[in-house]
Amino acid sequence: MKADRLHALAEAYGADLRRWPASERVFAESLIAADPSLKTALAQAAALDALLDASPAPTPSADLTARLLAAAPKAKTSRYHLDRIALFLGAGWAAAACAGVVAGVGLTTHVTADERADAVLYQSTLVEVDDTEVLG
Amino acid sequence: MVAIVDPDEDLVRRVGQGDPAAAQTLVSRKLPRILALAQRMLGDAAEAEDVAQETMLKAWRQAPKWTPGKARFDTWLHRVALNLCYDRLRRRREIPMETPPDRPDDGPAPDRALLAAETGAQVDGALKRLPDRQREAVVLCHYQELSNIEAAALMSISVEALESLLSRGRRALRLALADLAPGMKPGMTKGVGR
Repeated sequence: MKADRLHALAEAYGADLRRWPASERVFAESLIAADPSLKTALAQAAALDALLDASPAPTPSADLTARLLAAAPKAKTSRYHLDRIALFLGAGWAAAACAGVVAGVGLTTHVTADERADAVLYQSTLVEVDDTEVLG
Repeated sequence: MVAIVDPDEDLVRRVGQGDPAAAQTLVSRKLPRILALAQRMLGDAAEAEDVAQETMLKAWRQAPKWTPGKARFDTWLHRVALNLCYDRLRRRREIPMETPPDRPDDGPAPDRALLAAETGAQVDGALKRLPDRQREAVVLCHYQELSNIEAAALMSISVEALESLLSRGRRALRLALADLAPGMKPGMTKGVGR
């Protein structure tokens, strides 16, 4: 690592080597150990770091914390499982009832089809005898 | 693909199962971080609280279906919070708001606590005036202490681009805060004129 790179890293990440890319930390430490004048760059970066740290971190309010905890996921109780079983049973009965209706309609249609065909044929033969039947 | 080691994996699983102690731990571990992120991105306490709340509520919905190994939960939380912050920053640009002027220092000499609060306020003001992407880079790397790789991934940029944003951001901050630290030279380093 060259000194220019060390300056660039201090400029970007500040003086705390823990914030530097892990891959360049060891080289940076050895470079600074070999050339103490490079510490000047770190001291300048440290001054800005200290100022940045003066920005206060907000503390979450007790009200916000309580609201969030109240909304956290709840464990599924035995009542929940009973409800699920009831729901499945109910859905099963509903499905069976629907199937019955569909089957009934289908069967009725099938059984009465022949009778309806006969009725149509019969009605078609009444054209000539209509008056006879009406007049007696 | 290499599975990602997530220190929060077990905690998130227990939260998803409805463990109240795990939820409490997650809130105490993550809420201050997310609130700080939102506060520094938005510079507004009420909006930051809204963002932090919305982020954590999304975390509650995500926890039961969280798939470990794909991403760190902390990174996911940051992504959600940053998206919410950018939604609000965009809305601000659509509805321009008047920026309050800096207050002149015409009162009596402040004591040490007041001085510290004043310094903090000036730093917050300088952060707020940074371009959004520079502020995001500084907040993620300095305050949130994310690694350069995590921060670059969150911002969908290369590590080199992140370093450029960080350098420009810190240089602007140094200029803005030069009065607070007279020994701090605005253009302190060489070979970083990007």
